Amino acid sequence: MSYCRTINHIAVGFLVMSMLMTCSQEPSESGVVVIEPVMIPSENGPPDLSGIWQALGSASWDLEGHTASKMPVTSVIGAHGGIPAGTSVVIGGDIPYQPDALGIRNANRADWANLDPVAKCYIPGIPRLTYMPAPLQILQTDTEIFIAYEWGGNSRSIFMDRPGTTAPLPSWMGYSLGKWVEDTLVVDVTSQMPDTWFDAAGNYHSGSLHVEERYALMGENHIQYEATITDSEVFSRPWTIRMPLYRRLEENARILEFKCVEFGEDLLYDHLRRGYDGSKNLDGTLRVDLIEEPIDQ
Amino acid sequence: MKKSASLIVSMALLIVYSLVQADVPMKAWGKPSLQGNWDFRTVTPFQRPAAFADKEFLTPEEVEDYEAAVRVGREARASAEFDGEYDQQDLDVGYNQFYLDQGTTMTTTMRTSQLIYPENGRMPAMTERGREASAYFRVLQSRSPHGPEDRNLYDRCILGFNAGPPMRSGAYNNMMKLIQTENYVMIQTEMVNDHRVIPTSGGQALPASMQLWKGDSRGQWDGDTFVVTTTNFTHLSRFSGTGESMTLTERFTRLDENRLEYEWTVDDLEMFEDKFTAVVELQLTDADLYEYACHEANYAMPLMLSGARKQEATGVEDDTWLPSWSR
Repeated sequence: MSYCRTINHIAVGFLVMSMLMTCSQEPSESGVVVIEPVMIPSENGPPDLSGIWQALGSASWDLEGHTASKMPVTSVIGAHGGIPAGTSVVIGGDIPYQPDALGIRNANRADWANLDPVAKCYIPGIPRLTYMPAPLQILQTDTEIFIAYEWGGNSRSIFMDRPGTTAPLPSWMGYSLGKWVEDTLVVDVTSQMPDTWFDAAGNYHSGSLHVEERYALMGENHIQYEATITDSEVFSRPWTIRMPLYRRLEENARILEFKCVEFGEDLLYDHLRRGYDGSKNLDGTLRVDLIEEPIDQ
Repeated sequence: MKKSASLIVSMALLIVYSLVQADVPMKAWGKPSLQGNWDFRTVTPFQRPAAFADKEFLTPEEVEDYEAAVRVGREARASAEFDGEYDQQDLDVGYNQFYLDQGTTMTTTMRTSQLIYPENGRMPAMTERGREASAYFRVLQSRSPHGPEDRNLYDRCILGFNAGPPMRSGAYNNMMKLIQTENYVMIQTEMVNDHRVIPTSGGQALPASMQLWKGDSRGQWDGDTFVVTTTNFTHLSRFSGTGESMTLTERFTRLDENRLEYEWTVDDLEMFEDKFTAVVELQLTDADLYEYACHEANYAMPLMLSGARKQEATGVEDDTWLPSWSR
């Protein structure tokens, strides 16, 4: 199945395919011939990336190839608690961990529901926010490109007019400096906190993380997104993920609220609730023993 | 003679207007630029103090005196030796003077209050329903919390206490970023690191059943003023005691190179007997917005809940959990 044909199938189901999409062939690292979309050059200034975009697939669960599996909630929500399968978005297939670091990743994976910072509604950082299952909106100006993410109400500024500057201090979203390299937006992301993960499968990094993102408009309705991860404390070499971002085309497409704090509070604080008995609801409502208790006024 | 004088006055006004307009940065598509990082700190009181009753504006000398009095008060608080009851009061607030960043100047219009309507510069009276709702939340937040939901949205890091909407000068982090394209204006508040992306062409309203913490904002240009109408708030959003019926109207007008007028009106006749309107001027700043990772560092919530469970275990009944700043 070619890359372009895959996109076309998805487009039939979810999106209207860009009429500008064209394809060329090149061999992948694994030797398999894949068809890559050809970037559409801009005629006047840099390409306009403005719009509402979203990654499809299940990279937020696991960047590497994975079969479908169970979340520890299927006794409550049945098949809704299944993690969808997905092919690897890592070029070359696997993440090149150093041996000790791979052990840490595996330990993370074994207890991911308790350890994944996203489960607690912590800011996912970059690149993970790009492929969380929620749209993002790009607002493009000459001096600053702002990305508003629906997931968690997070956001970041990509500064286009201050090359060579550094962050005043580390942050969960890091410090993003952008530049146009021909028609591709290249973003250097530094100074991210060491606390974020790349997915829910325990893939992690250290405080030395450096991410170089590339946003290339492939037509009216697709961005080819790439992120190269460099972290010599954890990985044996830099590695790259690649996935398309699809424009949300529905007439009323917009960024809504996904303030995940209220969904992370059970995990974080349930044991500190009054009358905690080890069980909790997963539907976001207060437990009956709390909401039925009268308040003296 | 009368005609000549009138003509001269008109020409002078036109020249002044043109000069003022010349100071307003414009976007390529013909609208004033709202883009930038804006500082909304001010020591202008939100409501008009009794000392300024019936006085809408101060003189420059009175402004100087007021700002000096604020400085003196802060210096006294910063150098106070905290002990006894005062020490406890300081701890209740959670911060001493070192952490507060409330600005040092009044708004440049020299108004005696941010509120300009009702005309007395004071909040309108609450309706019976408004008083009932406020009483309910006071009791809820006074008791030792049964869970995080008992605490207000600021303690939970869901909304910011000065981030609104509407945004109102508060204890710290009084900064907002505006990003502007032809089709959208984005407002990001530093407090709780939150944003609204507002279409400039009105956009499609959400159905009443879809309620958002920050409401549903839709914008349009009224001449050179960007007007944002926000509805669909949750019943917990509660700006100064409002409810889910609130309609918020915000008006952003670029005054000159460095100032942006921000006027807002809250209309919630379910909770208040009248609407209320405030106006301040925001100052352009070169400072960046910092990431306010509130939830990620919310050590207070588990500590509060742990304290409440400890009180229960030792049989302590405590109804003093209401923050001192909201008593």
